[in-house]
Parts: sequence; structure tokens; C-alpha cells
Amino acid sequence: MRDLIKMIVVLTVICTTSGVVLSYVNQATKEPREYQYIKFVQEPSIKAVLSGYENDPVKDRMQLAMGEDQEGRTIETTVFPAKKDGKTFEVAYSSTAKGYHDLIEVMVGVRADGKLTGISIMTHTETPGLGARIVESQFTDQFKGLDLETAKLPAEGGKVDALSGATFSTVGVINAVDTALERFPQIKKEVFQP
Amino acid sequence: MSVAKEFTKGFWQELPPFRLVLGLCPTLAVTTAAENGMGMGLATTFVLVFSNVIVSILRKFIPAKVRIASYIVVIASFVVMAELLLQAYFYPLYKALGIFVPLIVVNCIILGRAEAFASKNPIIHSLADGLGIGLGFTISLTVLGGIREILGNGTLFGASVVWSTFEPLKFMVKAPGAFVCLGFLLGLMNIISRKRPAH
Repeated sequence: MRDLIKMIVVLTVICTTSGVVLSYVNQATKEPREYQYIKFVQEPSIKAVLSGYENDPVKDRMQLAMGEDQEGRTIETTVFPAKKDGKTFEVAYSSTAKGYHDLIEVMVGVRADGKLTGISIMTHTETPGLGARIVESQFTDQFKGLDLETAKLPAEGGKVDALSGATFSTVGVINAVDTALERFPQIKKEVFQP
Repeated sequence: MSVAKEFTKGFWQELPPFRLVLGLCPTLAVTTAAENGMGMGLATTFVLVFSNVIVSILRKFIPAKVRIASYIVVIASFVVMAELLLQAYFYPLYKALGIFVPLIVVNCIILGRAEAFASKNPIIHSLADGLGIGLGFTISLTVLGGIREILGNGTLFGASVVWSTFEPLKFMVKAPGAFVCLGFLLGLMNIISRKRPAH
């Protein structure tokens, strides 16, 4: 009996200590981890969708509150503005939607008039050779110049050709882009100077 | 054995992947380049040193029946820490090592040292043992990664090291190349140790 209690106490103490220490390390590394994520995952995508800017979009990034989800937590979007002569003319931000396997994270670049300057797939786990072709420029280039009306499949009145054999992945990207474009009016109000 | 001896045994006598033939999964999987091998080795060393020290400190308190569970909790905590630190400060390396960072927790070298050494020896000896074995592992992985990188890609630590007409053997950076290379190194080390007088 004494053995049993000792075992329980020792294991509990070890696990609790481990939990406390790990949550501290998690907190302490949170900021650098976010920075590294932006630098290595988002920055290449930002550079792909924005052009002709004179500022550092990563440094000038803004956190915008975009309403609340069903559980009452605020949804935040990080917006990367492209500025020329101190004026924002394009913005880049990301959004996600479900693909065939898991979430697809897309960075979109949008001009002041609500038209896309380009999209770039940041993370996905689609099938290699089929759905994974969403990252190819042949597919992503189609989105240039489209807006909320036209960034859809032809069957829905849009101009995006689906990848053959990868309809779910294509729809995933389109959903992510449309979600992003639906948020644009609100971003426009806060980011673009009149 | 003296502390110095505990430290140096990791470099030849008990060199993990070659002499103990332990921890082969990361040895084969991440040594596609010298840098990846070294990163993996250092991450493992970090976990090994700290888990050895903690296990050694706790060795008198941990009941024998739950010792493996306790060791795994200690090891897993340091692995998560290593993963967070890599993610925060060495992101490209973190990406290159991928799933093999969390898998350090099941690396049998670490549990092996905790069970066979740290649970029976004082703190300083356990520290020396962890550091020696860890650095031995790092050197082994770096050498293996270096050979595969030179033959398979014509570079070492990312810098070109071969003549311009050299045609890289792409298969060396693939899985079969890992086995072939490990086999040759094992054979070479066996020849050398046979020529050396036995201890």
C-alpha cells in the first residue's frame, strides 16, 4: 500500500513539474516562433502576391479584429500592407479552408478595388501529383485579376478551371480565397486611406 | 570509472550508431546532408544531457516499478522543449528534420542511457556520459551526412566541394544510400577496432 501511494505521488509530481515547465517554455518562445513562422512561411508568399511596394509589409503588419466566432472569441486577421509614397495600395492576408485532406492555407493579395493581385498556397497536405498541384503557378495564376464574383468554378459563374482529378482541392482553394474576399470590405475600411 | 573516461567512451568504445548500433532510425533518415545530421545530433545531445542529469538527481526517489514511465515523462518534456526552441530559433532546420524531432523521445539511446547509466550513477558522471554519448552521436551523424552530401549532391554544409564535371550519385541521398553508407562505415570501424589491441 505504501509503495502504491509513493508511486502515485512521485509520478504526479514529475508530470506536474513537467507540465509547468513546458507551459513556461511555450510562453517564452511564443513570440520568436510566430516571428519565424512569418519570416519563413508567410514572407515568401507575401512577396509572391504583392509587388511594387517600398515598405516592409512584415514590419508594417496590422492585427485587425474581424468579428467573433460562434463561441464568442474574436477572429483576428493579420494584414500585410504594401505601401508606396506612404499610401497603402495593396494588402496581403491569409485565410484557410478545408481541402481534400486537411486545411489549405492561402495568402491572397488584393488591390483597393477588390481585385486579386495573386494567390499563393502556404500550407497544404493534398495528395502529391493530384491535389498538390494547387501550388503550381499554372493554377494559381488563374486567380490574378479575379474578384468575389469571378473567383469561382465555371458552373457557378466563375472563371477558375478545376484541376482534373483534384476537384476537392480546387474547391478548397476557391473557398479559402472567397472567405478572404468576403472579409475585404471590412479590411478596406480600416486599412486603405481615402 | 573516472568522469573523463565516462566522457570519452562515447567517442569510440560506445559510439552510439556504430559501436552500440542504437538509434538507427534518425541515423538513416536525417543524414541526407551534414547540416541535418549535425542539427539532429545536437538536438539529441541536448535531450540526452538534461534527461541524464534529471534522472540521476531523481534516481533515489523514483520507485523501481514506475521508473520507465518517469524516465519517459522526463525525456518527453525535454524533447518538446527542444522542438519549441528549434521552432523559435532554427526554423529551416526544424522544417528539415520534421517528424524526427518529436521522435527523439523514442530514440533508444536516450532511454538506454537513463536506464543503464544515469539511474545508477552520480550527477557529474551522468552529465559526462550524456555529453560524451551525445557528441559521439552528433559526430557520427555529421560524418555520415557529410559523406552522403558530398557523394549525392556534391556539396558539404551547402558549399560546393567537388570538381565541375562531377556527376552526383543521387541515390546516396535516398534511403538505399543511407544503408550502403552506414554499412561501409560499420565495416571500416570493425576493421580498425580489430587491429587495435583489446582493452
